[in-house]
Amino acid sequence: MSGYLVANRRQFGKLAAGLALSTALPGLGVAATGEPFKLGALNSITGAGGVYGPGMLEAIQIAVAEVNNAGGAAGRPFQVFAEDDQTKPDAAVLAVKKLVDITRVEAVVGIWSSSVQLATLPITNAAEILSLNTCGAPEIETEDKLDLVWQFYASNAIIGRAFAQIARARGFKRPGILAYNNSTMLAQANYFKKAWEDGGGEIAEFVVYEPNQTSYRTELDRVLSKNPDIVSLSSYSPDVTILLKEWYQTGQECKFIAPGYSVTQAVGDTLGPDITSGIITVSNVPASANEAYQVFVDAFKAKTGREPEMFAAAAYDMVITLALAMELAGPDAKSPEIASKIRSVTNAPGTKVSTFVEGRDLIKKGEEIDYEGASSSLEFGSFGNTTPDFGVFEFVDGKVVLKDVMKLEA
Amino acid sequence: MEFVPIANAAINGAVVGLLLALPALAVTLVFGIARFPNAATGDYMTFGAYTAVAAQAALSAPLIVSAAAASLATALLALFFYGWVFRALASRSPVASLIVSIGIAFVVRSSITFFAGQSQYNIDAPLVRAWNFNGIRVLPTDLYIAGAALTALAAVFAMLHFTALGRRMRAVADNPELARASGISARRVMITLFTIVGLFCGLGGFLLGMKAVVIPELGWELLLPIFASVILGGIGSPLGAVCGMILFGISQEVASLYVGSSYKIVLAFLVILCVLLVRPQGMFGTIRAVR
Repeated sequence: MSGYLVANRRQFGKLAAGLALSTALPGLGVAATGEPFKLGALNSITGAGGVYGPGMLEAIQIAVAEVNNAGGAAGRPFQVFAEDDQTKPDAAVLAVKKLVDITRVEAVVGIWSSSVQLATLPITNAAEILSLNTCGAPEIETEDKLDLVWQFYASNAIIGRAFAQIARARGFKRPGILAYNNSTMLAQANYFKKAWEDGGGEIAEFVVYEPNQTSYRTELDRVLSKNPDIVSLSSYSPDVTILLKEWYQTGQECKFIAPGYSVTQAVGDTLGPDITSGIITVSNVPASANEAYQVFVDAFKAKTGREPEMFAAAAYDMVITLALAMELAGPDAKSPEIASKIRSVTNAPGTKVSTFVEGRDLIKKGEEIDYEGASSSLEFGSFGNTTPDFGVFEFVDGKVVLKDVMKLEA
Repeated sequence: MEFVPIANAAINGAVVGLLLALPALAVTLVFGIARFPNAATGDYMTFGAYTAVAAQAALSAPLIVSAAAASLATALLALFFYGWVFRALASRSPVASLIVSIGIAFVVRSSITFFAGQSQYNIDAPLVRAWNFNGIRVLPTDLYIAGAALTALAAVFAMLHFTALGRRMRAVADNPELARASGISARRVMITLFTIVGLFCGLGGFLLGMKAVVIPELGWELLLPIFASVILGGIGSPLGAVCGMILFGISQEVASLYVGSSYKIVLAFLVILCVLLVRPQGMFGTIRAVR
């Protein structure tokens, strides 16, 4: 046992204490004059997202320090209030109610899970405040009628299409689909199917399975009975582990393509090289060519001694994007006005910038800017969604290895 | 529908059913003898699975040793909660014990997540390819699991029917007052009962962890089918619990061939409904006269 949660709780306490300290001493660099901007950090410190939440909170803290040291956004320093959503919608609703009704935050950043975003969206939208996430469920785009919700990770509609594009490029002919029964995973599977069929292909078999089972053998047998050459898995780590174990025992030849956040290196270590060999996983990759990525990675490593995850890079971008949009909207702007400036500071055209200070100075001169973030170049579509680059990874000798980076075909 | 997929589904269902027959038997024994439905059963299983993981990680214990560790540790846990909580509530209504058992379930699960976190663990067991008989596939691991479950079940049946202790347990189950008047110590019977409950839940959790993955909700999620199969078999009937669970397992797997697998549990409950319409007392239950 790793004592994982204990470490997380301690880390959370340390982070929260650090945040309190950093907000108590705003503007060590340049004095910020305006009213503090209350920022809610709603992270999955525990629960299924507990692997990513602490890193995201670190990243938010790094970005907040960067903005506050530069004198705040439009002169307003950020004041952070952190809450753990436990990767559960019910806990998240309580946490966000506290943030919105009691603390009266003006934006929420760092949401990891779609179920959390879908549960908290009505609350943040009713309060007319911004909500910035790394979610994938396509419903988020249509549920948000006020243009206040922004996705810093690819929607599952896009991930499904990316799966199809990769499978086709690698010469697979008869894909089967296994999908966990929830909105996120079903969307991914359905978009894969649609993209595959639009390209003139045929799906061998499409099976939706109910979670929390002891065994998925019957469902797996149903897919394998049609002899697919590749199976698209829309699953989370626990069920994908059971599925792959059971598949290996059947002895049937077949490849798999799965999201990188479900078949992680940890899952690979559990299953061993025999099973994982030839599994393709797909993840958003950070924009490692962008300068912002280097700046962020250096700051993250200096603070934590670790390499940041993709989700941490996205959390960092959320704060910098918000700060730049505030700078453009002015010190008295409310959330909807700030939201209306997000595309102006991140999308082309404009002078490319990679730090808050660079962007702020240009905005002050009245120039247009285009923030190139650490997680992606951040070009937001009409629904507040992004299309980052995808990394195609494969398991070689039990280790997950980056094979190539692809852009999605239009 | 062809024969092969049905046979495969039935085999799979039988293995899952046999495995879950261990906790089902624990539930029915507690109900028959201590007279309350023990909602902590699922979390006792989870505890067993985590003990096995810990034994493997800390001592790099072989499978059989970690299985023994899981069973023994869970037996101690079950005895601890009997001595601390259930014994004191023995004279109260069964509802008190039921509610307390739900509380114990939460305590066990939360303690596990506090120390082990939410991430998944795995019981290291060699994965062997299935034997293929013209499309009907049998997993060697499943055979071991079924073998272990059957051995444990046979042992408890032998104990109940061929030993003095078993006779005393059945006597308490049948009529506690009469048993006390005949000089049977209820306390000794209860200690034996909760030892068996712990051993079975621990072993069940270990086998389940070997087949699936070890997560904090491992056992809790299975409580509903376990309770359902106990009702199906006839509450308080050990043989009924085992047969009920196997029937439940097979019907849900075979059902998933005909309807989407999201509905397989619903169909399994439909089977239960049909059986109970014909035999309201359950497959092996007896009708008790109400006085």
